[in-house]
Amino acid sequence: MRRPYIDFMGNRRWLFLASGIVLLVAIASLAIRGLNLGIEFRGGTVITLSNVKSASISQVRTAATKAGIAEPQVQSSASGFKVRSAETNMTVAEKNATDIAATLNVPSTDYQVSTIGPEWGNNITNAAMIALAVSILAILIYVSVRFEYKMAVTGVIALAHDVVITLGLYALIGRELTPNTLAALLTIMGYSLYDTIVVFHRIRENSKNLTKRTFMQMANDSLNQVLARWINTGLSSLIPVVCLLLIGGATLGDFAFALTIGLISGAYSSVAVASPLYAMWKEREPRYQALAKKYATSAVSK
Amino acid sequence: MDARQRNFLAVAGMVVLLVAAVWSFWPLNKTMRQGLDLRGGLSVILTPTTSVDAAAMQRALTIMQSRVNGLGVSEATVQLENDNKAILVQIPGIEDPKAALAAIGQTGQLEFVEVASLDTTTQSKVEDGYVFAPGSYTAFMNGSVIKSAGAAASNDVATPGYVVNMSFDASGTATWATVTTRNAATKGRIAILLDRRVVSAPAVEEAIVGGETRISGNFSADEARSLAAILESGALPVDLRFSQTEVVGPTLGQDSLQQGILAALIGLGLVAIYLAIYYRGLGVIAWFSLGFFVITYIGVLAGLSRVGQYTLTLPGIAGIVLSIGLAADTSILIFERFKEEIRMGRTPRTSAKSGTKHAILTSLDADAVTFASAIPLFIFAIGPVKGFALTLMLGIVCDLTIAMLFTRPIVILLAESVIAKMPTLFGVKGGGANA
Repeated sequence: MRRPYIDFMGNRRWLFLASGIVLLVAIASLAIRGLNLGIEFRGGTVITLSNVKSASISQVRTAATKAGIAEPQVQSSASGFKVRSAETNMTVAEKNATDIAATLNVPSTDYQVSTIGPEWGNNITNAAMIALAVSILAILIYVSVRFEYKMAVTGVIALAHDVVITLGLYALIGRELTPNTLAALLTIMGYSLYDTIVVFHRIRENSKNLTKRTFMQMANDSLNQVLARWINTGLSSLIPVVCLLLIGGATLGDFAFALTIGLISGAYSSVAVASPLYAMWKEREPRYQALAKKYATSAVSK
Repeated sequence: MDARQRNFLAVAGMVVLLVAAVWSFWPLNKTMRQGLDLRGGLSVILTPTTSVDAAAMQRALTIMQSRVNGLGVSEATVQLENDNKAILVQIPGIEDPKAALAAIGQTGQLEFVEVASLDTTTQSKVEDGYVFAPGSYTAFMNGSVIKSAGAAASNDVATPGYVVNMSFDASGTATWATVTTRNAATKGRIAILLDRRVVSAPAVEEAIVGGETRISGNFSADEARSLAAILESGALPVDLRFSQTEVVGPTLGQDSLQQGILAALIGLGLVAIYLAIYYRGLGVIAWFSLGFFVITYIGVLAGLSRVGQYTLTLPGIAGIVLSIGLAADTSILIFERFKEEIRMGRTPRTSAKSGTKHAILTSLDADAVTFASAIPLFIFAIGPVKGFALTLMLGIVCDLTIAMLFTRPIVILLAESVIAKMPTLFGVKGGGANA
């Protein structure tokens, strides 16, 4: 069986271009459309009605208006409806929910009221931001100590790439950003580096006695050597998460969506962003420049 | 001890670990504590309206704990959150959230009023539940003088049921002595008001000069506990507001749980099928690795749950599903490296030893980075992020344990026998194109 050999490094401009276009769309979406922040960030009330199959959206909206909600946003979900309002007073919200449930004949076990004060969202966001900053710092330190700082920096660039793309997609399709999404996004950061570390491990191993090849060629060989495990680890991480997206229900699906996008982007960026950037950076080192002068006839070393 | 013995020992250790894990989580529905989002119930986050010091928050927490305990609900938790800037109250499986919300939300101004000091029409109206108009009465003392209060079974046959015992500090004892002495002869009543509402209005049976007071009134255990909680908790040192209130219906959470478990099982099954197709015999080893991983993982989570350190929530389920992929990744790294070394022309025996070692080092680093990024999430983030991070970190630890105790030793042990004899079955025929 002949194993395929792909010239990743030679085609790195195309890979960068693909990333660049997706990043551009993501950033434009974030700038133009903005993120659809959940009530957890803005404050307000969500009333979730489940097992309501008979009612229509307009019936639910009428019931909500009748209960005294000024501008209810009604959205149908897999098994019922979500009614959002700007109400931040818990007692009023609870009363609204009871009224809606009574109008629609929903038993008290089948609805859920969630009210969040406006200041609480800031707390969540601030805590997440601190966690994010410290996480990135932890990654930078670990990778710098265990490997080298150039790997740490390019790895974190790939990670930022994944987070921006995931957030951009949320903005593009107008999907609501919840604390759960935030949790998933923060986790993706660590996980997106998994593939990158596997590749870097191999590059480091191969660079130990590098002769007769440029660093770029060696890096490309390394990528091809770990290609099978890159595909297989990517798939085996993705399969359970996609299952969760498809059959996990609303809340779990929320996590799974962010995880799915993040995993795909993370797998791509480890090969198409982190590795080429790292190899380009390393090529500038004097000893690899010397090798490049001597052996850079083609990007592929075969 | 030679390498072979060491590997057998590792596999034996794996068996012990599995037995311990099953012992830890069996029966799962009893041992795994479920969060509110799964069980249903009431979750409230309270934050002070003005910035207060940690000591005041600690007092507020104690008061809130006694109020929630006074509700007589089991398994409720009251704890400080968000760097001691918020109080989280969680009451699982509660049927009437409104009563609980009222109890949590009261400001708790506790006052004592001598009924004899009121006008006659008001006097006749004073009974449990009566609400005084503001300014229509004069309290002779407030709740701050109460040192302690508790419910106890009555040992007096004349007054069966439960009683509430309370004691006062020095100034309270003095005032109490004066008032009770004044009322003892007429058996005058003293109304105990919480936020102007009468919670109890016992008659004075005798002058109480020592402070130790017993309120008897044929209370049920719950009534007595509730009254004691009110007496002891008194006024809150801080003004709290509801920052987040969540009432989850019991069926909703269980539906999510079932969907999550189903998704996890299907995901596990699909990964297992894929591994068997791609890695053949090695894929079957991966089945055991994955199976053992899941058992150990659940065992660890349930074990922590037993000692109150872990609660399964929806984000936790997502973390578990992600960890399944992580565990499969480790097996894949081990198999790929093993196959690669065989392609390079090494014997299965050498390849197994060196390949699995290198692969575990790689996954150790990859896992460590994930772990390093999860630690800050666990420490600094609040709410769902925390549960997610903890679940993921535990998953990483379990994954590496299985890799070292089972996957690596078993590949080495089998490489000498079965894999060497039937390389095709394990997809490791030597001398590939890239060799």
